[in-house]
Order: sequence, then C-alpha cells, then structure tokens
Amino acid sequence: MNTAIVETINVTREVAWLPWAVSYFFLIGLSYGAFLLSLPGIVLRRPGWEGISRLALLGALVCGLSAPVALLADLHQPGRFWHFYAYFSPGSWMSWGAFFIPLYLGGLLLYAWLAFRPLLAAHGREGGRLAGVARLLAYGGLESRSALLGAALAALLGALLVALYTGAEVMVVRARPLWHTPLLPVQFALTALAGAVGLTLLFNRFSAGTRDTATIRRLAGVLAATQLAALLTGALWLVMGLSGLAPVHAEALAQVADLPGWRLTAAWAVGATVLTWALAALRPGSGLLIGLLALHSAWMMRWTVFIGGQEVPKTGAGLYSYQLPLGPEGLLGIVGTAGLWVFILVLLTTVLPLDRLAGTRGHGA
Amino acid sequence: MKSDPSTRACSPTGVSRRNFLRGIPVLTAAAALPAPAVAASADTPHWGMLVDIRRCIGCQACTMACIQENAMPEGSFRTVVSTYSVALADSAQPAGTYVLPRLCNHCDKPPCVPVCPVGATFKRGDGVVLVDAERCVGCGYCVQACPYDARFINHDTNKADKCTFCAHRLEAGLLPACVETCVGGARVFGDLNDPQGELRRRLDAAGVETKVLKPEQRTAPQVFYIGLEERFAGKVVGQGSLWKPRASHA
Ligand code: SF4
Ligand code: SF4
Repeated sequence: MNTAIVETINVTREVAWLPWAVSYFFLIGLSYGAFLLSLPGIVLRRPGWEGISRLALLGALVCGLSAPVALLADLHQPGRFWHFYAYFSPGSWMSWGAFFIPLYLGGLLLYAWLAFRPLLAAHGREGGRLAGVARLLAYGGLESRSALLGAALAALLGALLVALYTGAEVMVVRARPLWHTPLLPVQFALTALAGAVGLTLLFNRFSAGTRDTATIRRLAGVLAATQLAALLTGALWLVMGLSGLAPVHAEALAQVADLPGWRLTAAWAVGATVLTWALAALRPGSGLLIGLLALHSAWMMRWTVFIGGQEVPKTGAGLYSYQLPLGPEGLLGIVGTAGLWVFILVLLTTVLPLDRLAGTRGHGA
Repeated sequence: MKSDPSTRACSPTGVSRRNFLRGIPVLTAAAALPAPAVAASADTPHWGMLVDIRRCIGCQACTMACIQENAMPEGSFRTVVSTYSVALADSAQPAGTYVLPRLCNHCDKPPCVPVCPVGATFKRGDGVVLVDAERCVGCGYCVQACPYDARFINHDTNKADKCTFCAHRLEAGLLPACVETCVGGARVFGDLNDPQGELRRRLDAAGVETKVLKPEQRTAPQVFYIGLEERFAGKVVGQGSLWKPRASHA
C-alpha cells in the first residue's frame, strides 16, 4: 500500500444500491435464465427435456414474481414507482427497464399458464390439495399450441430485453471502472443461466422419486458449458486489464488488485467456478452440490459487483468499509425476500407439485 | 451567514462578493438588499466556482456553513475539505498537509443527468445541476453515475442530494454559504459569462494553472482549481481515511 499519502479527513459515501438490488439482480437473472431452460422441453419439445423445462418454468415464475418486490424496496421512495411510467426518460436504461419488466413478466405469466393448464386440470381432477383452485386456474385445461408459442415469443423478447437492460444499466456507469466493461452483461447472463440450472437441479432433487440420472446429466452438461464460458470471460477480462489493451480494465484492476479482500474474492470466484465446472463435467451425478455451487456463484458475483463495487471510493483513498446492517436495508431485506420467495414457491407447488412437474406423476405439458 | 455581503471588509473574496451582487438579477430578495443588482446583464449567467487551493487552510468552515445552511443530516456532506497527510522527501519536515475542497462540479456534461430514469436530475439554463425533489424516486442511479462521489441519498428526505451552489441563496442575490464563509478566500463564485467578473478574470489570469478534477471523464466541470496536484485530481492512491463520518440512520 502506498503510504506516501494518508487521507486524514474525508467522508464516507454509503452504498446507494442496497442488498435489495443484489436480491433483485439475482432473482431476475435466475428468472430469465430458468425461462430459457424452459424452452427446449415446452416449446421445442426436445425429448428428455420435458421435466427439466417444467421445473425450470416453475423457477422462472417464483423468481420472476419475487424480484420486482426487491427492486421496489431498493427505491428510497417506493411509493413513487409510478413516476417511472409518468416520466419516461429514453436516455436511461433504468427507465427502459421499467417497461421491459412488465413485458417479460406478462409474457412469462401467460406462457406459464398456457403451459401448465393441462397439469392444473389434472391436479383438479385428481383431487389434490386446493383442487378447486387448480380447476379454476386451469379454466378448462385446454392446450393451445399457437397461443403458447405466441406467449413464449413475447416472454422471450421480454427476457432478452431484461437481460440486456440489467447488464447495460450497470455497464454504462463510467464512473466505476469495475462496472464499465462490455464483459459485465455477459458475465451477468452466464451466471444467471448457471444459477438457473442450479435452481432446476435443486427442484429436481426435491421432487421425490426423481433420481433420473439422464436429467441430471443433461443439466450438468449445460452447467459445465456456462462455467467454462464464465472462466473464459474472466480470463479475457484479466488479459485485457493486464495487457493494457482496455484502459478501463487496467484501471479497474489497479483499483482492487492490491487489496487482500478483493484477491480472496477473485480466488474464491475462480475456485468455485472451476470446482463447479470440474464436478459438472466429470461427476455429473452430483446434482445437488453443483446446483448449490452455481446458485452461490450467481449470488456472490452480484454481491461483489454491487456491494464490493460501491465500496471503492471514486475520488478518495482506500475503501469505504461496508457492514451489512441487520435491518430492512440489510440482512432483514435479504431474509424477507427469501421468505417471499419461499411463500410463492409453496403457493405454486400446492397446485403444481414438484413431482407432477418433474414428470414422475401426471402427464406432460 | 446571511448578513449583507456588501458590508463585509474588503478582501479578495469581498471584492468578488460585491462584483457578484452587481452582476446578477435579484429576484426574490430585491427589496431586502440595500444595493439592488440593477446593473445585471441581460444575458443568462453561467455559474461556476474557482477553488484556489493555495489559499485554503483546511479549516472546514465551508463544510460547517453548508451543513447549517442546507440542514444536512448527521454524517451527510454536500461539501467537504478532503485532507491528506503527504510524505515529504525534500524537506526537514517528514510530512505536509494537502487540502482539497470538494463539491458538486455542476458539470456541463453531467453523467448524473442522462441516467435518471424519471428526469428528476437536470441542468438548469444557468449551469446549476439540480434534483427535482418532487420527482426523484431515490433510485440512486445518479449517485452511481457521478464520477466525483458528489451525490448521496439523504436519509431525512430519502432522495438524491448534492450541492446546489445554494440555488436558493442565488435567487436572493446571495453567495453560496461556503463561499460566503470561506476564511482563506479560497472559493470564488461567479458568472462565467461575465468577462469583467472576478471569476472570469481570475481564471483567465491563471491560464494553464487552472485545472479540473478527473478531466479524462470529459464531464466539463464548472468548478475549477488552482494548485490542484496531479495525484489528487483523480482517485487518490494512498491509505484510506483516518476519520470518515458516516450517515446515521437513527
Ligand atoms: S459532479 Fe457529479 S453530481 Fe455534480 S454535476 Fe458532475 S456528475 Fe453530476
Ligand atoms: S435518485 Fe432521484 S435524481 Fe437520482 S437518478 Fe434516481 S430518481 Fe433521478
């Protein structure tokens, strides 16, 4: 550390994007990632993907429905969210995001409803828990392929736009060299997809009786690919920083390379990714473990980018130290979001039990 | 702080205060001023500031004046004098002190403006960058986008906050509180469009000595510095703060 200059008086700028933002980016990423995983089985009808895709679609729903709550909570004036719609500002990615989110969620809800209608009807017929509600939701339970495809297309457009805006919104912040890289949206998308595979593996693990190794292997294959891509992207970032090819990467590197905390984080991230990749590639049967690892990496990446990134002063020396507050602006917020997530999961799996989705009971969509 | 500036003792900044008052149209407080600024030019002013670091004594009087004038919550600052202890190689003294008053630069190309999702942050015709508190949703995007850490979320209002060049005082024909109170006469405020004004004259006289913070960000800051050392113009490389007050959530 350079001790030729010691900052004796300066102010701390607190993080303006709270852990709520980490929760939002985590959940919305998992949601669009899981939505993409739902396509091979439900839209493309790829053999062997039916169960995976239905479980993934459940994940996309649960995460997609809880994400906006975290986003709203990150506003310091949540009651003014309607300002986003009253004062559209085309120069701001965040402003566009306010329109992309409803497009995605609207498409997703419609698509999921159309995909799950037959399952809901089956649940209603068989008289499971809340069978009446399931029957009501099924609304006849008809399958409509063309409507399903239309809704999937709308949701796909929404998902791509959400992936684009969430990445671009952070990438354009030139004031933070750690964020200001075109590789960031790619890293967000890759970890989102990996996390979505992780979530699907988790659901698969908890759908009783499903030890279908073919399913796990298929997901492990996708996961291994995402991890490899993430490692390559990370390596590219590093090479561009070290070689001086990209000045902004070099600046970002210079800001954190000497800091022990950041070194540990980098080593951790690389280690976890390599481990996930190795397990997914060599021991694809370790479904639960690699699933949890992928979810952990997706969270860690966002935590490091948002909270870690905001700890780096833009003008002052050293770091602003962040301690996770216990209240709603910190731990309670994270726990609360997780609680909401579990609540929505319980609600949905009451009428759409995991076993039915995984294909071990009932019939396919 | 809100005393009549024209009665102040003559000092370098005292001169600037009087010139300042002659140079702007007085709107709301015209009746209260003994010498109304009737000589105001018809042109729109473009407000700016010069900080002559050589004159700053690091007393933080400006910091305090701003806190009082703008009712800042505890631990929040619109301006501060960052203070550094610097090792000296060619002196009998082991270390010297470097001070750097910081505030919003009221950039002519402010990156905080386009990111705002609701158009709450804007640059006024007279150059002042402001936040419309009625519209701000407190998303903090502008806080991220400012390369100078000039913005923060105010815990009392839950909205974006920053230096306004004391826009409310300007309207009343008064100088920003920090300029008014500056002990060393280091802060000079005025109309950059006024070729006869002290600010313009001082800037012209200083020529290439005039610097801005982080010029590579191409934000066109309207707060200029004389005596700004290269290694303090961007992110300072050194040991982190010994004293960093934080905002209280109480
Ligand atoms: S200093 Fe920061 S807050 Fe002020 S105008 Fe420039 S970018 Fe905006
Ligand atoms: S915090 Fe307020 S002023 Fe800043 S970008 Fe958000 S809405 Fe705009």
